[in-house]
Amino acid sequence: MKMSTLSSKHAKKKENTYFLQSCSKVVLLLCLAAFLRYLVMSSKYQTIIANHFEISTPICSWKRVQEGLFLLSRNIDPYDGDLLHETPTALIFYKIMSQNVFRDVSLMFIFFDIGTALLLYAATRHYAKQFHQEHRDRTKYPKDVHEYLPSEGYYEKVPLYVLVAFLFNPYTFLGCVGYSTAGIHNFFLALFVFGMVYGSPIVSSLALAICSSVSFYPLILLSPLYIYYSQVYKSKTKALLVVLYFLTYVYLITFYNNSLSKSFKFINNVYGSIWTVPDLQPNIGLFWYFFTEVFDHFRELFIHSFQINATILYLVPLSIKFSNRPFILTIALLFLITIFKSYPCLSDLGFVLSFLPNFLHLYAFCQQGVIVGVILFMTSCLAPTLWHLWIYSASANANFYFGVTLAYAIAQIFLVTDILFAQTKWEFTLKHGREAKIDGEDADLSLE
Amino acid sequence: MSTFYIPLVFSGTQVIKEIRKWVYRELSEKNRFYDDSILITMKIVLILCFLVKIQLVLCYGNDTFTEELLIKPLFSDQVYAHFQFAVTWDKDPTIKKYHHTHLFPRALGEIIERHNIHELHISLTGGLWRYESWGYPVVDAAPGAEVWAWFKPDTVDIDQNWKLLANTLSGLLCSSFNFIDVSNSISPEFSFRPRGSTDWTTVNSTWLRYASLPREIVCTENLTPFKKLLPCDSKLGLASLLNSGFIHNTKYHSIALHLRPICRTETCESVSLELQLSVSLVYDYAILGTRNWSFKKLFGQGLEGKCPLSSRSNIYVDLSTSDSKKFDLTPTPDEVVTSIRGGFVNKYALYHISPNFLSISGRYEDDNEIFVKKPPSLYANQYLIGYGQERGGIVSKIYNNHWSALEVVLLQSIAWYVPVYLHTLKIVSNGEILKPTILKYIPGKQRERPYYIEMVLNLPPLSETLISVDFDYIFLKWQEYPPDANHGFYIGSAVVSSYLPLAKNFTGLPQDSSTIYSSFNASRSGYLVQVRTENMVITLPTPDFSMPYNVICLTCTVVALAFGPLHNITTKRLILKKKCETTLVQKLKLKFETIRKQLVKSKSD
Repeated sequence: MKMSTLSSKHAKKKENTYFLQSCSKVVLLLCLAAFLRYLVMSSKYQTIIANHFEISTPICSWKRVQEGLFLLSRNIDPYDGDLLHETPTALIFYKIMSQNVFRDVSLMFIFFDIGTALLLYAATRHYAKQFHQEHRDRTKYPKDVHEYLPSEGYYEKVPLYVLVAFLFNPYTFLGCVGYSTAGIHNFFLALFVFGMVYGSPIVSSLALAICSSVSFYPLILLSPLYIYYSQVYKSKTKALLVVLYFLTYVYLITFYNNSLSKSFKFINNVYGSIWTVPDLQPNIGLFWYFFTEVFDHFRELFIHSFQINATILYLVPLSIKFSNRPFILTIALLFLITIFKSYPCLSDLGFVLSFLPNFLHLYAFCQQGVIVGVILFMTSCLAPTLWHLWIYSASANANFYFGVTLAYAIAQIFLVTDILFAQTKWEFTLKHGREAKIDGEDADLSLE
Repeated sequence: MSTFYIPLVFSGTQVIKEIRKWVYRELSEKNRFYDDSILITMKIVLILCFLVKIQLVLCYGNDTFTEELLIKPLFSDQVYAHFQFAVTWDKDPTIKKYHHTHLFPRALGEIIERHNIHELHISLTGGLWRYESWGYPVVDAAPGAEVWAWFKPDTVDIDQNWKLLANTLSGLLCSSFNFIDVSNSISPEFSFRPRGSTDWTTVNSTWLRYASLPREIVCTENLTPFKKLLPCDSKLGLASLLNSGFIHNTKYHSIALHLRPICRTETCESVSLELQLSVSLVYDYAILGTRNWSFKKLFGQGLEGKCPLSSRSNIYVDLSTSDSKKFDLTPTPDEVVTSIRGGFVNKYALYHISPNFLSISGRYEDDNEIFVKKPPSLYANQYLIGYGQERGGIVSKIYNNHWSALEVVLLQSIAWYVPVYLHTLKIVSNGEILKPTILKYIPGKQRERPYYIEMVLNLPPLSETLISVDFDYIFLKWQEYPPDANHGFYIGSAVVSSYLPLAKNFTGLPQDSSTIYSSFNASRSGYLVQVRTENMVITLPTPDFSMPYNVICLTCTVVALAFGPLHNITTKRLILKKKCETTLVQKLKLKFETIRKQLVKSKSD
């Protein structure tokens, strides 16, 4: 008895020191990241980075927000033109944030980036702990698969990795430095994940409502939200309450938007332009060149099929397949949105990539890590180069840049399918053991 | 009965004479055989008119037609020739019928009636008027085509009428006005006020439409229908000098049509309809080959007499450059008019056109001398900044050479494919930031509406003001690019309007008159100038026009690349399957091995 209390005390002490250690690490990392961001933001490279179409898409360009704020200050309806694609609430939010709270725009972006990092850290810490707890009892699994289970320091390691992956990810870094408002949208996505993992229906549904009011894509995350709460409450009707929360928030936000702009013009400017892609400015996604080149009479057909592909096509099958793992479902859906949405930017990709350390235990099952890494690296280098050749030196044409964006999309597709595949394999292996044998003979794993 | 005809220019017998003259001229080239029979039918028609007492006579009113030509040797190496034709029609504005016209072109009358037009201003211009060295023209015009119209306040659907009007005008003048629609039209609030008289209590700019087509190329096909609007066509009078072969190799040529209601009398109790038709030409001495100009050099022929329908047929030669560089005119002018206007004295040589042959020429005593240039009080430029096809800027530069501050209105209509950011608008005058007194802005919409910026600026004296705004290069759908996509897209000229206090370098007409003659000694409180800047061309980035199918296929392949594995993962289960014993390669290897073995065996045997 004494021994056990002693050991538990010891463990608690150990945990405390561990916590303090990790805390100091986190603070150090955050300070370093903030400093680096501020350093680049105050240099001349800020405008160069902000001017890149990969970072500032029509949806998340700070320049357009500035234009909106300027028009607002001159009493001109910013939704009269079609430069602005942010909601009225978001515009007011940016106005207060940039003029009253922070004064310096770069500080605002750093603040939200650091906030996102912290939320992600906290969320993954909680999730990793849960995950670790879940697989603590090693006796449940065959002996040869123990190495695939989360190890002892798992829940200490993973959140730190996530933190580093977010803060020092070149994509999020560039997005933050280039004043991409996607960074602020991602803050609310992180808040959603945080709220969901910590089981707070109000926070998570509010965050999701904010995210979906900015662009409608996050609406499909309602599915993992519902699944998660039906698991937590162990009742489907209770989980519906969360959906109801969400709907109420969405209604309130839309109502507020409408009362701010005094008309529904913003709906066309925000959701209409995200859905119908009228601005064909190049970005890292698949839409721009396709809808530049597609024949006009097929345009409608392809617009709707591409948007369905980005939203509800994979929603039902994935929700069914990963109905017991809402966290993985969330990340898979976020990934697919990032790949297939109409105006993706680097911040979006950086945000979903920073979730990858959560799949540390799947590493042994992933097959395409090298290919994906190499393609991402190559395309990240090639995209600005070919862009320069096309736009500035007129020695390449649109096809070059289009080729790069295709490779980019392929890399992301490989990555997400690889992870999902690894997850299914991992589950299978935990259940059936490592040895692939039927009646003592060698056998192959195959999907049927 | 004859009282009805008094308002006409000619009596009945004169009309018959005229008609005979016309018919002769018409038939002289073709066939003189039928002329008598046609004359007889004409006579019958005329007698019938007398008998039936057709009411249309009432509508004729007191029509007048004037034709004038101003020749102005410019301070630079050019000579400016401006033809001014004006028709006034004492039309009762309460009668909304415009079908029965006399000297006024009926085609325009129909347009006014159908589209409920109050004022109409059209110009078709090739080349750019160089304000800084040429001074001000009689009529300002933007490069390319420009049209603006005031509709009557009771017009039901102005946008629709505007579109229809543009289409009609494109037929009337054989130009591309049919490309005008709401996506390139604006309603400026300050720059284009009604030029004529109105009985409106308030002027609402929603009745106004303005559009310009900077890409329009002006040539013979526009001049020919234009000449047909004149009462004498191009057969007699000054219009006979308008030979396309000589007009379109000028440095600047502009044909313009201005229609407006004017006061009939000083007290303005009733209004008349006035149509000004003008042709402005700037000849370069380098193209002429010599500084000594003559009708033969400028127009290819002399003048054979005036248009019999005109009440004033004059030619003026501006003698302002004669002070610094003397030239002799042959024949000697009928009189020399001294005009004191807005503090500036100017001399004009005046010729009354007689029925005799006339060819005026100016001969310089010394051929190689440099003129002293007198830059005008206000002029403007416009250009693009930035490089590459990503981000750029439009800069307008306004020069105020006047010794006091000038209030100007700057109007910029920027096409929808050049999205500008108003927050980047910078106005710097002589190194200091200038705030516009009034700033009007309507943001544009892709494929729907241009960007409209209009501002009132108070330019400091002797200043150079830079107005810059940033824009993005946008990407269009491949079918929206014109056939020669890399030629680029045009941005129309900015319009800088101002009332100048002094008439320095000013040749424009006063608002209340329609002839050049009436501009002599016409001092007013201000002189309206509307300076048009250069057009600009931007080359938008282009996609590869040859591969729509490839792009569709490749993108769909990538989408399918995601669909396949995700479909597999979500619909199939992992199961263990027995390994196939031998693969094809292994089988082949085995076979090969056995053959080799057999061969070796047979060899050893």
